[in-house]
Amino acid sequence: MIPSQMLKGTLENCILKVISYKETYGYEISQELQKYGFSNISEGTIYPLLLRLEKNGLITTQYRESPLGPKRKYFSISMAGKKELDLFYSNWMKLEQAVNLLFQDGGQIK
Amino acid sequence: MNKQTKKLNQFNNELDKQIHTENQEAYTDIVCYLRGADISEYNQEVIRQDLLDIILSAQKRGEHIQSVIGADYKDFCDDIIANLPPRNTKEKALEFLDIIVYSLSILSAINIIMADETIALIRNFATGKALSYMISISVGNIISAISIIIIAMMVVRIVTKNSFQMGKKEAMGKLKVFFLCAGIMAIFLFISWVGKATLFTVNIFAACSFTLALYIIHRILAKIQ
Repeated sequence: MIPSQMLKGTLENCILKVISYKETYGYEISQELQKYGFSNISEGTIYPLLLRLEKNGLITTQYRESPLGPKRKYFSISMAGKKELDLFYSNWMKLEQAVNLLFQDGGQIK
Repeated sequence: MNKQTKKLNQFNNELDKQIHTENQEAYTDIVCYLRGADISEYNQEVIRQDLLDIILSAQKRGEHIQSVIGADYKDFCDDIIANLPPRNTKEKALEFLDIIVYSLSILSAINIIMADETIALIRNFATGKALSYMISISVGNIISAISIIIIAMMVVRIVTKNSFQMGKKEAMGKLKVFFLCAGIMAIFLFISWVGKATLFTVNIFAACSFTLALYIIHRILAKIQ
């Protein structure tokens, strides 16, 4: 299980990436994330993050009828969201490279 | 509450009935806490709608609310509230004014109905005696109206802010409860001591018109919020 402190800051963008593949809803996002190894990510964990993404204009929402009764909220990525994903991934690559360099070649760089 | 919010509220109230008993307490606590949050009534209903979808879907899968939301409901609510726009000063002022005007209209109506002069007016009308249309407003009426509104607002605030603690553990110390009860008793003793003196008299139709005007203002304020 990935510690929650480590997930902070990255989970939001991972949710955004899942939404970028197709229009989806909360539970489906949590299931999709679990497939990729994000264990124990419940709908309750991602719901406030979805609200933040919506507030920041990175996703758009649409309510659709659901057989259960309440309308279900579906999320799509916006243009600003696509740009944010590119920026996140570029920063992530730099971070990954730096961490790998430190852990693999630590103490060697002069 | 405007039309759009009211419609959503009624829709959510219907769906509330589908919540299973084991999830009811947690759901009620969450909604109660959101009611006290600094977010618009419309956003409260939108969040309620989303929560209902989350909980009803979980129920269908045979899961408990805790497995989808986590054990810390307050933390979950605080995360939601932090990501919603807070009400601005105008919205807060309108809501406060609406509460005052609506409360006053109800208290004024009760005061007219319960007044000795109203009962005497009906009795005299029935028996064909001379009619007096004046009702007296005492100092006690004014003080008790103000006290009731203040106490009601305080109670709502305490209940919404402590919805996750109430009934589970001692939310307030015994000393606090003592002082709260003593304070309320002191107010009502003070009202009964000074309250009998008539402040002014007013025609019953003027009082009814004033009450109706307050209610109409409330309806307008509720629509524009």
